[in-house]
Amino acid sequence: MSRRTAMARWLPGAASVLLVLAAWEAAVRAGAVNPALLPAPSVVLSTLGGVLRAGEVFGPLRQTLQLMAAGYAIACVLGIALGIVMGRSEAGYRLFEPLVELVRPIPKPALIPPLFLFLGIGVKTMLFIVVLAAFFPVLINTVQGVRGIDPVLLNTARTFRLGRAAVVFKVVLPAALPMIAIGMRVSLAIALTLVIVAEMLAGENGVGFLILDMQRAFRIQHMYAWLVVLAAVGVALNAAFEWVERRLLPWRGRQ
Amino acid sequence: MHGTTTSIGLRRLLQGMSGIALVLALLALWEASARLGWVESRNWPPFTQVLLALWDGLRSGELLRLVASTVGFMLVGYAAGSAAGIALGLLLGLSPLAQRFASPLVETLRPIPIAAVVPPLILFLGVGDALKIFTVAFSTFFPVLLNTIAGVRDGSEVLRQTARTLRLSRAATLRKIVLPGALPAIFAGLRTSLGIALVVVIVAEMVAGASGVGHFIVQSQYAMQPAPMYAAVACLSLVGYALNRLVLVLERSALPWHGAS
Repeated sequence: MSRRTAMARWLPGAASVLLVLAAWEAAVRAGAVNPALLPAPSVVLSTLGGVLRAGEVFGPLRQTLQLMAAGYAIACVLGIALGIVMGRSEAGYRLFEPLVELVRPIPKPALIPPLFLFLGIGVKTMLFIVVLAAFFPVLINTVQGVRGIDPVLLNTARTFRLGRAAVVFKVVLPAALPMIAIGMRVSLAIALTLVIVAEMLAGENGVGFLILDMQRAFRIQHMYAWLVVLAAVGVALNAAFEWVERRLLPWRGRQ
Repeated sequence: MHGTTTSIGLRRLLQGMSGIALVLALLALWEASARLGWVESRNWPPFTQVLLALWDGLRSGELLRLVASTVGFMLVGYAAGSAAGIALGLLLGLSPLAQRFASPLVETLRPIPIAAVVPPLILFLGVGDALKIFTVAFSTFFPVLLNTIAGVRDGSEVLRQTARTLRLSRAATLRKIVLPGALPAIFAGLRTSLGIALVVVIVAEMVAGASGVGHFIVQSQYAMQPAPMYAAVACLSLVGYALNRLVLVLERSALPWHGAS
């Protein structure tokens, strides 16, 4: 029974994806779409197969993912740390709040050219941009999460004479984690987007550079193949995040 | 007693000033590092020079014209994407079957970083206005859609049943029960999308490289003219700040019952 209901849930979705792919294939074959602009899915898939078999996918993909992972990790650590300072201490909040409110509304991709000019085009500059962009959602959510903690929890911790560090690690962090996770999820998508934009503008390497380069070289089938790779990365990152979230926050699923 | 309150007031004041002092100190550091040549870079203009460039750009109207055109395209795309997101979100929120059909499609398209969608879109839409509008609409669509679905889903079942008991028509139920119930969630989506919209229109302009502020910023980088570039970035930050404020004000006037939270 449960298998059948699972199938019933899963089937319409799979059917709709297949339907769209079939319609796309048919439209190209019938000549309704110019295959030079939008090749049939079968053609894209076989190009993708070729790219995968040749092993061409790993170099650029590793470059992109490494940059993203490093930037994301640094942003999360910094965001959570400053968020706890700003959430726990009134003086800390007043010290950093104006600076945060000044930098936060800057559309981060607009900072890529200035930073390239100032720091030079390179991995370090790109890393800095990813950190800067992914930092703010984590920070804002951590501050909110920490400030929203039930005072009873904090008073209990004081009653038990927990030290400052113990309060942070045993009370504050676990209680604020659901909020922090929301910010981290937003940042994950931002980090990937910023890496792609930076790679496109830097024009040296990585998946973002390749997609733009293939388009300019009019190797359209390859452009779509790399787009599929990137979409798969996006889906995989999302799924991985959800898996970790379920592990770390088992109580959230019950809400 | 009186003495303590004054000293507390003074401390509050000092604490309140500390944030502004930090910002000013950083700006002074920026100015000094550029004037005194602490930074090994030919492209590190002093802060005051950026302010001058901002002033010049605003006075000549060039910068203002660029920003206005970019924001204009952004707003058109935002309106289109949001309207589509709300409409489809109401439909999918009310019909679980439709949602089961659509959600895998949404989940395949949504995680693609928007910047990567720009190159293929250039093939179809060129590098001009249509590209900007469509890219913004595409990327604002998803947050509004998902929030609308969640808002409709979380709407009160009791209210909906009451509406059925009172024999409200489908259209009336939608307008009087479902939509107001989902409005807070929809507004949250609209606010998220607005921030995304500004980023996306700039990215589209940068990658397409034909017109707009995004293009201007990249061009200034190639021309090694940091001051006007920083002025443009400052202008965009003001726009971002103003847009966020605007949605908050709109939200408060559209959802007066929600203002307490």
